Amino acid sequence: MEKIILLIPFIPIVIAIMLGFIKEKEQIPKVSIMLSSMIALLALSGSYYVIAYDTQIVGFDGLLIYNELSAILVPYVAILGLVIRKYATKYMWDEAGYKRFFILLNFIFASIYLLVMSNNLIVLALAWQLMSVGLYLLVSFNVGSKTAVKNARWTMYIHKSADFVFLLAVILTYQTFGSFDLGILKEKWLLMSQNPINDPMIFTVGLLYLLAAMMKSAIVPFHIWLPYTSEAPTPVSGLMHAGVVNVGGILLNKMAYLLILTPMVLNIAFVIGLFTAIFASMLMLVVSDIKRSLGYSTVGQMGYMIMEVGLGAFSLAVYHLIVHGIFKASLFLESGSVIKYARKDSNIPERLSQKTFSDREIKYRSAKTFKLIAFFTILPVLTFIAAKIVLAPEFFEFNAAIIILAFAWLTGTQMFLSFFKVSKTDSIKVILGIISSFILVLFTYEYIGLSLEHFLYGKDSLLFYEAATLNVTLTMSLIVVALIMLLGWLFIYRKPACSSLSSDKKSNQTKWQYYRFLVKEGYYFDIFKSSKKGKL
Amino acid sequence: MITNSIFLLLVSGLPYYIFLEKSDKFSSKSIFLLSAIMLFSAIVLSFFIHNTHSEILVMISFISAMYSVYRATQTTNFYKLAYYFIYMNAPFFLLFEEQGAFYSLSLLVSLIGLYSIANFYQKHYGSANYLYVRGITLATPLVGIHITVYLISIGLYPPLPNSLFFLTYIFNTEADLLWYIVVISIYFGNFLVSMKVLEKSIFGKTNPNIHYVDLNTKEKITHFSIIGLLALLSIYGIKEILVWVL
Repeated sequence: MEKIILLIPFIPIVIAIMLGFIKEKEQIPKVSIMLSSMIALLALSGSYYVIAYDTQIVGFDGLLIYNELSAILVPYVAILGLVIRKYATKYMWDEAGYKRFFILLNFIFASIYLLVMSNNLIVLALAWQLMSVGLYLLVSFNVGSKTAVKNARWTMYIHKSADFVFLLAVILTYQTFGSFDLGILKEKWLLMSQNPINDPMIFTVGLLYLLAAMMKSAIVPFHIWLPYTSEAPTPVSGLMHAGVVNVGGILLNKMAYLLILTPMVLNIAFVIGLFTAIFASMLMLVVSDIKRSLGYSTVGQMGYMIMEVGLGAFSLAVYHLIVHGIFKASLFLESGSVIKYARKDSNIPERLSQKTFSDREIKYRSAKTFKLIAFFTILPVLTFIAAKIVLAPEFFEFNAAIIILAFAWLTGTQMFLSFFKVSKTDSIKVILGIISSFILVLFTYEYIGLSLEHFLYGKDSLLFYEAATLNVTLTMSLIVVALIMLLGWLFIYRKPACSSLSSDKKSNQTKWQYYRFLVKEGYYFDIFKSSKKGKL
Repeated sequence: MITNSIFLLLVSGLPYYIFLEKSDKFSSKSIFLLSAIMLFSAIVLSFFIHNTHSEILVMISFISAMYSVYRATQTTNFYKLAYYFIYMNAPFFLLFEEQGAFYSLSLLVSLIGLYSIANFYQKHYGSANYLYVRGITLATPLVGIHITVYLISIGLYPPLPNSLFFLTYIFNTEADLLWYIVVISIYFGNFLVSMKVLEKSIFGKTNPNIHYVDLNTKEKITHFSIIGLLALLSIYGIKEILVWVL
């Protein structure tokens, strides 16, 4: 009876076919929401079954599986789908192609469910490609807009390349390990991990999976499709940022046991993820379009997720993608009302560039403020030390400590900016609120991360950390973080700290060049334009 | 070698459309019909004659295919596009022999769909040129859906049969250099051309100067039959994949 859960990927297809025959517009969302609720209930009951009986539901000759990963992700996707459909009911009402939208939405959800629940590389490959075409048709939903169609084209190019790389990886996996079944492969990989071998083919296969994941998760340099698809309807943006981009993380989790055989791939993932997280977060702060800013924020978060994978924290990546997905979907679905509110208030949105570079801001940086900034930058490190005292020592094995440091650093940076914003009113309450929320986030993140790790991988998680370890000591990590912070200080606060407040054109010029580089999104698109015009 | 050469000619491994296009006796429509009939004959023959591919002939057809990709990017006529697709996919048939027959059959069915769309355009808009009849998705959604299905099928996306057979064959065979060249070029060649056409045909704003016409009952039946055929081939394709996987 529990095998009925495995029908989840096929229900959205049935809904899509049913919608094709419905003639009354009012009935379209009703049918879609009602049957999607059924999917959500099925998913929840499936998760209950897996957790309560500590078992997996396998069916269709082992092609589909409802395991621990599905038990977490399928209800998440189902509930997200429900919210998006409900939101789209009114939002899309006046748009041409209302029925087309709901049909496409159901197709893409079917591919996501199939991808999560697949237990075979061929099924995974089919779902992987199905998602690409579904996304293309949704991103280009606004068919009358030239830019929407152009951006959809770029999305499609990158996703098709991801499809190809993935297919190549599947072929090589079969040639190397002799099976498509993920269950069999997992056992094989686990067995092989006991006697590690340095096989270039395993490295190639691992790297191809990483590349495919990077393309679908919009990791630099494949990020261009995500921030520029903001012309898609808001529910589609919500779905893309909360669901579609996460498939890279899901794929890498499915390939976790393969990746422990090739630590070099994990190290590459760490470096690329870290770079993406920093670069995209900086771009997020300077772009003026709210949806594009959210797009870069997602790119940064995906970078962070890949970095976690690179550190062997696979389960943490799953937790990250869910939390980020919920957070980002709510932001997207609320962006319309924020813009509406902003239009009524002359004071918002405030321009960050103006705040950072205007004379008023320079004058504001007194010695007292500088000390406060220094204090709040050091705070993440202090919190980390406090966490070290409270938590068990084994928690800090391998690179898990680096994750906390990096997370503390990134969150600290965001807190930094928030602090800037509230400092004018000297609201101690707000500052305290930010600090406590930061600590809360840090602890919740790690505690839930650990529980999830135990649920998803049990004792095997230690293997991942072991494989991913960078051989970096805690002291070295602390030195690196301190150096980065110092550089940040020097760059931003060199003038108030080291010289007088008089104008310094040269210093400002450097800042503006740096700012221009970010505003131009690293000249990434200029390179494409130049190559198109034949300059390159 | 003789069998190989016959197959090369039948599956359009040589770009003989260069000469046919210059002739006044052959319209684009008739070139497609001729190529389609020859491909169909090759498909039927492949079930009876066992043949091993000749690498030289596959390379010749590959060069022809690359030239056809170039020609396909230059045209805005559905008829021409339909037969260019046949030439583009010839190396696949030659490389995978009788295994590639079902792939070619699915391709043929999708192209017949495209050919029917070309007929529809010619009948209602005066020519099979799609460039100036923009906004089809908004004005006549049903026509838009059909074009999308045919082009996505040719662009090798599941669950449509072309992609399923393509996957079955590439997972089922030993890869060598020629294999990589043919598979990569067909994978991206079909995709790039079909996406370009999709973008320029179904997208865009509706033109108030055009009187858009939807499919009539007879045309609807034709297209639903083609889609039904594609669905049947998809089911067979899934079965083929499952046989291989399980």
